[in-house]
Amino acid sequence: MNESKPLKALVQTTFAAVAAIAMIGGLASTLCSAEPTAGAPPPKTDSAPASTNSVAVKAPALEAAPPVFKPQLTGAELYSMHCNRCHPERYPTERTAAQWKTIMLHMQVRANIPGDQARLILQYLQDNSGR
Amino acid sequence: MKTKMKTSRGILGLVMAGCVIGLALPPWVTAEVSDADFNALKDTVQKLGEQVQALQQSNIVQQQTHEQDTQQIQQLKQKLAETQQIATNAEQKSIEASMTQPMPRQPIDEATVNHNFMMLGDAEFQYAKLAGQHGAFLQADFAPIFLYRGGDNILFEAGFDTTLQNNAPNSSGYTTTFNLSFAQLDYVINDYMTFAGGELLLPLGTYSERGAGWLNKIPDDPLAVDALLPGSGLGAELRGGIPVGNAGKSLNYEVYVVNGPGSADGTGNAEALDLGGNVGVRSDGVTANLHGHPSGGARLGVFLPFKPHYDLELGISGQSGEWDDAGNHLYTAGVFDAALHLGPSFEAKGEYILTRYGSDDLGTHSQQGWWVQAGYKLAGLDLELPVINNLEIMGRYDSLHDLYDPNNNAFDFKTQRYTVGYVYYFTNTLLFEGDYEFVSSNDPSQADQLIFQLSLGF
Repeated sequence: MNESKPLKALVQTTFAAVAAIAMIGGLASTLCSAEPTAGAPPPKTDSAPASTNSVAVKAPALEAAPPVFKPQLTGAELYSMHCNRCHPERYPTERTAAQWKTIMLHMQVRANIPGDQARLILQYLQDNSGR
Repeated sequence: MKTKMKTSRGILGLVMAGCVIGLALPPWVTAEVSDADFNALKDTVQKLGEQVQALQQSNIVQQQTHEQDTQQIQQLKQKLAETQQIATNAEQKSIEASMTQPMPRQPIDEATVNHNFMMLGDAEFQYAKLAGQHGAFLQADFAPIFLYRGGDNILFEAGFDTTLQNNAPNSSGYTTTFNLSFAQLDYVINDYMTFAGGELLLPLGTYSERGAGWLNKIPDDPLAVDALLPGSGLGAELRGGIPVGNAGKSLNYEVYVVNGPGSADGTGNAEALDLGGNVGVRSDGVTANLHGHPSGGARLGVFLPFKPHYDLELGISGQSGEWDDAGNHLYTAGVFDAALHLGPSFEAKGEYILTRYGSDDLGTHSQQGWWVQAGYKLAGLDLELPVINNLEIMGRYDSLHDLYDPNNNAFDFKTQRYTVGYVYYFTNTLLFEGDYEFVSSNDPSQADQLIFQLSLGF
């Protein structure tokens, strides 16, 4: 076996991993920037116009339309969305609050559920769990 | 004489008239009332008159008191009605408030919160009848998953698969196998990234991670998944999900490095490809996968929920690496996967798989396969029939092209398989499945088959 091949394979693998991460990050940032988030501050507007010698002409104010924010999904809604992807829904009363904490960590990893959504689902399951 | 007689008659008449009057008149007329009695009677009459006046005054006072009482009663009734209205309004407001506000959390027992070891998993047994063979109980399978959570960010999970398999029709007896399906240590770095190391289920498509016994609704795996893709590998992985907006959409990814497929006999011949990627000397004495360069792979997926139970998930994944001991040949796989849910009753999913690998004896060759599966729960028809409502009708189409044929040492096996079946849900985790597989193939190991399976997820 050629001695340079392991190095070559390592370089190829590293390149592939970096390219994949860059692609994922780029696509994520594009998608995230396309839709405003609920907690985002309103866009900054120009401050009062500086006084000049020119004649002030009153133009109709550009009234920005109020941003339409979708309400935050509840844990119950996220539970219905994510759990049904792979298996029949499990009833919250089937497990204790502590058991749901361990299971949700498992499911967060297995189903690639974002952390904030996983916490809302866990909250819903624990609030309705069989204690 | 006559005058005397008339006078006597007159006197006699007067006397008789006096007697008659005396007899006819009552005796009190003739009684005398003394002054004392009269005065006493007069006093009595006066007292009676005073008493009557007193009674009249008392009656007037009582009537006034009664009127006041009536007014007070009416006022009290009015106040009571107002109080009842206030109470009703308050009750209504409290109900509305309870509907708009989340239920207060009950305190969680700290002793149980620290309970962090669990066993999940599934168990199945199958009855099968191959075309031209007697039917028999085919296998029993127990596949537990052990979870140990070490805090909020660390999880160790391991899945085992213990199977007792009937050797019929090829030989007599049973074979018991015990396999480690996966064993990985997960460290949640942040909300969007997790590191996993160990024996990993490979994210080539989604079936390998979502195909455990009771998860898939057809007992057999798709042909192309079993024949063309490695199911697991020893290595390390970064994975996670990135939310997109507030409607539940997310981007998910996996990037990994694993040992990858190896050579079953150390050569680079086509038949030596071992997708299992075992390391070193196996328990059966075969030397495998001694090359020192791993395979790399990744999956990028997008999850698009429209509303609860309505979603579309798309993904593309691939893996590549040298597989033979000499490191002269690459094994490369690419998978496109899709899954669709339209309500709680309808589900469809499928994968297209393309692989390519080189060999010493047959050069480089491509193989491909795809499968699509759909299911519909009859509860969606709202027939209100208990047995029908627990049924789900299933169907799947499998295609596998150019699989390696060891008899001819060529890539000439082609198989198509149509599967129809059902799932009966005793509960949400106890499933009774039945399927018939219609096979069209030049591979003699493939045949029509009837399968029944009882699955329990726990």
